[in-house]
Amino acid sequence: MTSFILKRVGSALITLLVVAAATFFLMNAVPGSPFVTEKSTPEMVARAEAKYGLDKPMVVQFVNYVKGYFVGDMGVSLKMQQDTSVADIIFNQNKLTLSTRVGAFALLLAIILGIPSGCIAAYNRGNGVDGALRVITTIGVAIPGFVVATGLLVLVGVQLQWLPVRSGSLETASAFILPVIALAFYPSCYIAKLTRASMLDAINQDYIRTARAKGLKTGTVIFKHALRNSLIPVITYLGPLTAYVITGGFVVETTFSIPGLGKYFISSILNRDYPIIMGTTIVLAALIIFMNLLVDIAYKLVDPRINLSKGDE
Amino acid sequence: MEKKAKKYNLFHTKVDEILSANEFTSADFESATAKEKEAMVETHKSVSYWRDAVRRFKNNSVSMVALVVVILLTLFAFAGPYMIPYSYEEQYRGSMKLGPFEYSESEQMAKQTLQDADAVFSTALMPGSLNSLRKGDFAFRFQGKWYQFTLSRTMRSGYLMIQADEAEPLFTVKEDDFVAGGSYDKTPVAFTVIDGKPTDANVTIITMSKSIFPHVFGTDSAGRDIMSRTMYGARVSLLIGVIASLIVLVIGAIYGSISGLIGGKVDFVMMRIVELIYSVPDVLIVLLLQVVLQTPLQIWFDTSSIPLVRALSTLGVGIVSIFITFALLYWVGMARIIRGQVLMLKEQEYVTAATVLGASNSRIIRKHLLPNSIGQLVVTTCLQIPSAIFLESFLSFLGLGISAPMASLGSMCSDAIDTITVYPYRLLFPAIILSLLVLSLNLVGDGMRDALDPRLKK
Repeated sequence: MTSFILKRVGSALITLLVVAAATFFLMNAVPGSPFVTEKSTPEMVARAEAKYGLDKPMVVQFVNYVKGYFVGDMGVSLKMQQDTSVADIIFNQNKLTLSTRVGAFALLLAIILGIPSGCIAAYNRGNGVDGALRVITTIGVAIPGFVVATGLLVLVGVQLQWLPVRSGSLETASAFILPVIALAFYPSCYIAKLTRASMLDAINQDYIRTARAKGLKTGTVIFKHALRNSLIPVITYLGPLTAYVITGGFVVETTFSIPGLGKYFISSILNRDYPIIMGTTIVLAALIIFMNLLVDIAYKLVDPRINLSKGDE
Repeated sequence: MEKKAKKYNLFHTKVDEILSANEFTSADFESATAKEKEAMVETHKSVSYWRDAVRRFKNNSVSMVALVVVILLTLFAFAGPYMIPYSYEEQYRGSMKLGPFEYSESEQMAKQTLQDADAVFSTALMPGSLNSLRKGDFAFRFQGKWYQFTLSRTMRSGYLMIQADEAEPLFTVKEDDFVAGGSYDKTPVAFTVIDGKPTDANVTIITMSKSIFPHVFGTDSAGRDIMSRTMYGARVSLLIGVIASLIVLVIGAIYGSISGLIGGKVDFVMMRIVELIYSVPDVLIVLLLQVVLQTPLQIWFDTSSIPLVRALSTLGVGIVSIFITFALLYWVGMARIIRGQVLMLKEQEYVTAATVLGASNSRIIRKHLLPNSIGQLVVTTCLQIPSAIFLESFLSFLGLGISAPMASLGSMCSDAIDTITVYPYRLLFPAIILSLLVLSLNLVGDGMRDALDPRLKK
C-alpha cells in the first residue's frame, strides 16, 4: 500500500512538472515580447525584460520559475494588475475562495442529486420513472454547460425573475443558487447514469439474492447492500468531476458575472498576462491532479480487490 | 402424475415406434426429387456484418429519430444558406435588433412599395432585401426576353421597377430613402435585349420578387441575420466535429496499433506517454494552446504559398488551432481503445499465419488488425464528433475559439448574454440548434455502438 501511494504521488508530481513545463514553453513560444506596445521603444522593452528576468536563456528562466514556485514566488502580473504578485492575486483576492465555494457546492449537489436518482432509476427499472429519468439524464449529458447556465439565467432570472441575474460576489444565498445548479446539472446527470448502470450490475449478484431471500425490504437491499458496491464507478468519476467543475466554472462565472478565479483566468488569457496564465494554470492543474491522486488512493482503500500496482490492464 | 404425463404426451410414444425408426426400407434409398433438392438449398442469405449492423440500427427507434434530426440539421447547415437571401457577415443597415419575423421600418415601407409595383427585380444574392444594387452589370428575364443594363453607381436601397402599362415596358431604377421619409428619385435605365442568358461571370442575374424575406430568427445588434449566422455556426460545428474526429481517428489508430502490435519496451514507453497526456488536465492546456497558436498560425497563413496552407487559411485561425489541439491531445482515448483491440486480435491464428507468410508489421496492421477493429473505430470516431463540437462551442463561448464576423454557435451564445434581459431569443436559437446537434449526434453514436459492437452495450 505504501509503495503504491509513493508511486502514485511520484507520478502525480511528474504530471504536474510536465504541466508546468508545457505552460512555460507554450507561453514562451508566443512570438514577440509581452511588453511591445504601440508606444514602446526597444530600450523600454529591453529594460522591462531585464526587470522581469525575461532576457536570460530559456532554460535558466525555466529553472528560476520552478524554483520560485517552491518558495511561493509565482512572479508578478505584467498587465492586468501590474507588479502585483501572482500568488497574491490568486490566493488573497477572494478569487479562489469564490470559485472553490461555487465548485464545492456544485460537487456536493451533483453527488446528492445524482446517486439517489440513479438508485431510483435502477429500482424502477423499465417503468415510467426510469424512462423519465433516462430522458432527463440523456439530455443533461448532451447539452453544453453554457447552454444550461444561460438557459437558467433566461428562464429563472429574466422571465420568472425569481433569482438575481448577476450573481456578483455571491453575498446573498440566493445568488448562489443559479450558478451552483448550472454547474451541477451535467455531473449529476452523469452520476445518475453511472449509478444506475452499476446498480443494475450489482442487483444481479448472488449476495443480493441472498439478502432478498432473507426477507429484507427492497429499500434496505438497494440502499444498504447494492449501493455500497455500485459506488466504485462513482468514486472513480470524482477526479474527472473535479476537472469538470473547475473548467465548467469558467463558463458559469462568465455567465453569471462572478469575479472568481475562472473568470479572471479567462480574461488573463484574453489579455495575455503570461505570469497570471501560468500561475492559474498550475494552481488549477495541481488541484485536479491532487484530486485524481486522492481518488486513486480512496478507490484502492474502498475496494481491496483492485490491484492498481499491476498496471492498467 | 397421470394428468401431467398426458399433458406432455410423454408416455404415449410407443416403444415400437422408437425402435422401428432405425429400420430402413428401399424407399429410403431413392434419389431425391428436384423439389426435395430445392428444399435443401439454404434460403437464408448469409448476412454480412454491415447489413446486420444496419438492421440492428434500424430497430433502434431513438437512434433513427436522432439520425433524421442530424440529417435535417446538416441540410439546415449546408443547404440552408442558399435558401435565404441574407449573408452571415453582412450588417444590414437599418435592420438592427429585430425580433423574429420582424421587419425594420425601411423594410416595411419597401414592402408596401413592392405591393404597389407591377413587378420588382432585385439581385439574386439578396432578393427582396433592397439593400444591394451594386455598381456593375445586371441582367434579368422579363416576359421571355433577357435584358441587360449597367449601373454606374452603387445604390443604397435601389431596386428595379417595371411599369407594364406603357406600350413598351419601361424599366426604371428607383432609389428610395425610406429612413429619411420616402423621397426618391426615379431614373429610367438604358437596357439592351440580348440573346439568351448572359454567360459572363461579371453580370449579376437578378430575379423578380414581390416580397421581402423575413429575418426568421431576428437580427443582432450589428444588423446581422441570426438565422443565417446560426446556419453557418452549425456548419462550422459540423465541420469541426467531423474533421477533428478524423484527425483523432488517424493518429489514434496508427499509434494504438503500433503500440499494441510491437509490444514490449516500445509499448511500455508509448503507453507511458499516453498516460501522461491522459492525466494532464486537458482543458487548461487547450486554453493555453488557443492563445499560443493564434499569432504563429496567422503569420504562417499570411506568408505561406503552399496550396494546402492557403486552403486551410480560408478556414481561419480559430478552426485550425482547434484541429491542432485535437491532433495533440485528444487522440489518446482512441489509441488506448485500439491498442486493447490489437492486443486481443494479434493472438488470432490469421495474424500468426500472416506473420509466417512474411507479412510486414504495417501490412498486418493495414490488412488484418484495423479492418477487424472497424466497429470500434467507427463507434469511437462517431462519439468523438459531439465532444469536438462541445469543445469548440465551449472555447468560442469563452471568446477563445471562433470570433466575429465568422459565426459559431458558442460565440453567438456569449454575444447574446450581454443583452439577455432584452433579447432572450438571440440566445435561444443558437443554443437550441447546438443542443439538438450534440444530443442527436450522441444518440446516433450510441445507436451505432449498439449496432456495430454489441459487446460494448451496457
